[in-house]
Amino acid sequence: MADTLEDTRLDEQLLLDTPWVTVVWNDPVNLMNYVSYVFRSYFGFSRERSEELMLQVHNDGRAVVATGGREEMERHVEAMHDFGLWATVQKDGA
Amino acid sequence: MKAFVAEGDQIIGEFTPLETELLGDLATQVVELLDEGSELPEDRLLAAVGIGGSAGPSSDPAIARLLPNAYLDDDHASQEFRYLTENSLVSRKVANARLFRESLRAGGAVRLGPDAVQAWLRTLADIRLIIATRLGIEHDGDEGHAETDDDIMMQDVYSWLGMVQGSLVDALDA
Repeated sequence: MADTLEDTRLDEQLLLDTPWVTVVWNDPVNLMNYVSYVFRSYFGFSRERSEELMLQVHNDGRAVVATGGREEMERHVEAMHDFGLWATVQKDGA
Repeated sequence: MKAFVAEGDQIIGEFTPLETELLGDLATQVVELLDEGSELPEDRLLAAVGIGGSAGPSSDPAIARLLPNAYLDDDHASQEFRYLTENSLVSRKVANARLFRESLRAGGAVRLGPDAVQAWLRTLADIRLIIATRLGIEHDGDEGHAETDDDIMMQDVYSWLGMVQGSLVDALDA
């Protein structure tokens, strides 16, 4: 029982530390080679990794392309919208 | 249209006069859609630094697709994001479409430097998103409605633009 406070604090800390993610969603418009190019040129991923993420978007409907702080994820989402890709920010695991 | 080719840090392409005119018209439509569709913020100082945005996703589905919510289930956070980013995003999209238009040459040959290439990629994506929304293209493999001659012409333009953008990416990849 004495651990309750401590536990709560730990939980809050966990919540605060939960990273945010940038999710890119599939759309019927953007070309596969374009999406792959965007991942490579913007995030600096290798050709293989970009292809892999692009296929994940295409096949699974979405892919997490970045993890980190909220502001950073919002910057990525803005950049994706700039390219015409549909992207959102969310808490990791949400 | 001839396939794009890379020449140093330039990308060279060639279009017929009719294609050049079409591309120019489409870019103009992007400029007009975004210039008219986005509400100017009242605060001029904030506007000067690109801050400000509309109250929510546009009622025009094409604009809503170009400027989507940044959060799926959090309207408040989406709204804050829109406030901080929308006007500068709109300005960049408009500037891209203008640069795209300016790089078109009456003769049909285009020579794109790195900035123009980025403007072309984004403007082609934006134009295709707008057309796809108008055609009601919602799923992979969906060609949208084809009820009128205009629809059918738009479908042709849409797939041709896909070829143009695909060729540009291939030239960058080569």
